[in-house]
Amino acid sequence: MKPKAAIIGLDGVPIHLLEDLAQRGVMPHTKELIKQGNLMKMRSSLPANSAASWSSMITGTNPGTHGVYGFTDFIPGTYTVSFHNSHKLKAPPFWSTAPEKRVLIINLPAAYPAQPLNGTMITGFVSPQLEKAVYPPDLYPRLRDGGYEVDVDASLFKKSVSLFLQKLEETLDRRTRVLDHLLEKDGYDLLFFVVTGTDRIEHHLWDAYADGTHDQHPEFLGFFKKVDDAIAHITSKLDPDAPLMMLSDHGMGPIETAVNLNTLLREEGCLVTGDTPRKNFNNIREETRAFASESSKIYLNHVDRFPRGSVKPEDTPKIQGELVDLLSGLRYNGRKVVKAVHLKQDIFRGPETGDAPDLVVTPENGFSFKTGLFKESLFEEDFLSGAHTEDDAFLYLRGWSQDDRLPEHPCIEDSIHVFRKLIGEKLDAA
Amino acid sequence: MQHNEEKTCWNCPAALLKGNVDFRACGQSIAVIQNKISEEGLLIECTRRPELGMFEPSITFEQCPEWRETQYGYLLKEMRVMILGIDGYLGWTLALKIAKLGCRVSGIDNYLRRNAVAEKGSKSVVPIADMETRLKTAKEQHGVDIDFRELDLLDRDELAEYLREVQPEAVVHYGEIPSAPYSMVDAEHAIRTQHNNTLGTLGVLFLIKEICPEANILKLGTMGEYGTPLTGRPIFEGLFPADAVLTWRGQEWSMGGELTPRDPASFYHVSKVQDTFNVYEACKYWWLRSYDVMQGVIFGVHTEEVAAHPDLRTRLDVDEWFGTVINRFVAQAVLGIPLTVYGSGEQIRGYLALEDAMECMVRLLSSPPEPGQYDVVNQLSQLYKVKELAEIVARVGSRRHGLTVRIQRVENPRIEADEHPFLVVAKKLRENLGYQPKTPLEVEIDRMFTLLLQPRVRGRLESVRDTVFPKTWWSGEHKETMTLEVYEPGTHVMAGYSPDLVVSDHDGDE
Repeated sequence: MKPKAAIIGLDGVPIHLLEDLAQRGVMPHTKELIKQGNLMKMRSSLPANSAASWSSMITGTNPGTHGVYGFTDFIPGTYTVSFHNSHKLKAPPFWSTAPEKRVLIINLPAAYPAQPLNGTMITGFVSPQLEKAVYPPDLYPRLRDGGYEVDVDASLFKKSVSLFLQKLEETLDRRTRVLDHLLEKDGYDLLFFVVTGTDRIEHHLWDAYADGTHDQHPEFLGFFKKVDDAIAHITSKLDPDAPLMMLSDHGMGPIETAVNLNTLLREEGCLVTGDTPRKNFNNIREETRAFASESSKIYLNHVDRFPRGSVKPEDTPKIQGELVDLLSGLRYNGRKVVKAVHLKQDIFRGPETGDAPDLVVTPENGFSFKTGLFKESLFEEDFLSGAHTEDDAFLYLRGWSQDDRLPEHPCIEDSIHVFRKLIGEKLDAA
Repeated sequence: MQHNEEKTCWNCPAALLKGNVDFRACGQSIAVIQNKISEEGLLIECTRRPELGMFEPSITFEQCPEWRETQYGYLLKEMRVMILGIDGYLGWTLALKIAKLGCRVSGIDNYLRRNAVAEKGSKSVVPIADMETRLKTAKEQHGVDIDFRELDLLDRDELAEYLREVQPEAVVHYGEIPSAPYSMVDAEHAIRTQHNNTLGTLGVLFLIKEICPEANILKLGTMGEYGTPLTGRPIFEGLFPADAVLTWRGQEWSMGGELTPRDPASFYHVSKVQDTFNVYEACKYWWLRSYDVMQGVIFGVHTEEVAAHPDLRTRLDVDEWFGTVINRFVAQAVLGIPLTVYGSGEQIRGYLALEDAMECMVRLLSSPPEPGQYDVVNQLSQLYKVKELAEIVARVGSRRHGLTVRIQRVENPRIEADEHPFLVVAKKLRENLGYQPKTPLEVEIDRMFTLLLQPRVRGRLESVRDTVFPKTWWSGEHKETMTLEVYEPGTHVMAGYSPDLVVSDHDGDE
């Protein structure tokens, strides 16, 4: 039995990259799909990281409702960074709202550990233990024995670029083989497959994409050819007119310079650190007003949230304002560094805003943000060459009725509502 | 400020670090670990708070709701502590103390100590109840439940089963034959001591690795492992400090972090040194964490918990094999035997009261080392010369209890330096763990006199009179030990070397 509808996620792929590679013949199947459907630009979540954005996608809600602001947050009453897990998702994912539909989900980021559902789930990055990344559990031995890997070890890139690229391709191959196996074995109403190697290769080799003379330019294009093949393979499992949604969770752009946000905050007297033996956030002293975490999130050192918190609720707007001025005014070689500073109250809606960062910063093209606590230089070279962008993800729909209106400026949390409309009756009727 | 409030998940046995850190040997780990944290965002899980998922190991004891503030620092709530040798002098005392502090205490014992003392024709002069009565009384008097299994620690299958059941977060290893003279009686006693101690400990280490690798291992060593180097070089806390340097032929090498030399003084002490190496290696190979507790000579009978009821009393041995020197002196004073000082009596040793030793152990329980860390503490309150102790016991006995006490110098049946310098470093418990000695020597000696002079206890003491005088010669000879001199207290001046105890970095500063 073929799935009646599918979602294909391409992690981190900006719309212009997709269009460009389709146009250049690197992704011919994608080009064909684009012809058949609607492709549009989509905004990512704020902050534009995969945990927040995929959570917005699967719940159709703002981070203020689903409560996921990134792969990390702070354990209440501590400066301890805890890692995202699926139990922290506070809004229901779309499959749980239609439990009668059997779903097959492969490689969905930020969904670890896999939780019971009507169907099969293999979570995507970051999944520390494969055994817990799989539902139902009896699938685990097969994945383990088949060498299934959730993600490619990014540190491989430093050791061997060719091995890194080889692993990216192998991982994608294994994933599609697992898809074949699962579809042969069982029937599903809906297939949801995410390609994440796209994000990995763009982070490390954006320069190879942008520069046709780069040593790895052919390999970069070669990997996207593989992705295109995978898209063709997945769509071949569907009826030709089956509803299909493709999307990315955020875009990507070049990095020329990394900016150490905590260094800026320290230089401006907003961040004061001690010197415990370990270089973590426990070094934050009471005089601290703000600190940055996970590239774009800035937290005020709230008195009621952190052990050595000193910012009172009534002082929050004033400090937010000062930080907006500070960040907006930052220049590097005369160039503006910060594209926008978003205030918590402007971008988050819902019951989970209490844990939200107080500000979210987005960089101008060419810059990336780092949040190491003890970096000496404000500006430095980034070992990555691509950074997330929030305004140029894509949304593609096949089978959209021309009678229905599409959102004019869709954002990732709209995508699942659009998809529901796309599949609506067709899925029910099948 | 509590001594351990800034300790973090790295020090917590509930944190599952194993498998998350590529740990390397002691002394080399910190740089590797820091590198991991800053560059790769090391993450762990907590067995007590699974809802946190994966997180950075940086929650402090002060911040974590699983750690509760006590007078000894933060203590893991209802910490599961297994005591090996729970029926012994220290084991039972500690069991009561930590159970009252809220720990979930379990323990094993095969009554080896009771049997070994009986084998030598002696017994605890303070009557002690059987284990069933002890447990029942502990419940009645202190409201604590202590779980006991009669078990030989050499029976690894049984012990494995018990460890699996309890899943201890700390293991206190008191399950050893604790006597130098006993190990020197003959081949059979030496082999029994080393078999039980060394092989027993080795087996326990394998089981901990298998079953509860995050547990804090408090392994009882002894200051006797170090010997008494005649050069007077410092006795560090097991490992050379970072600034120790070896100079030879004009070149210098750092000794920081390496094990210091051991020079044991009996086959029993050898077993402890072997343990040291086995524990050190286990920490290195398997990430176990341990304090090797180089304990001074314990004296006394009192803690608030054991004194609460006669059936809760811990044992007190005064025979030549299992009695420690101060306890024996008090017993000799009560029996009217001149206090037996071996040789010149100029031997310097470290001492601490039972009550203080227990506090040290609680503090060590409260502040586990990091995974893979083999740490050593020199656990003692003060250094004394043996003949100085005889003087103090004589003084308390005569002034407070009206006894006529004399002192005798006897031939030294041991192979040891009668006169030696002794520079001991014992900083960690005081500087890092907030310990301050609480029980003055005279106070505890006075308590012992009071107890031993009770008619029932005194009667038992009389019955073991023949076991008090030393007969076991390190040379293996079977001969009487001759008295060299009997003298009145206060008539001999202290000569030779002065004890030198360093308890802080500032000691000796001008």
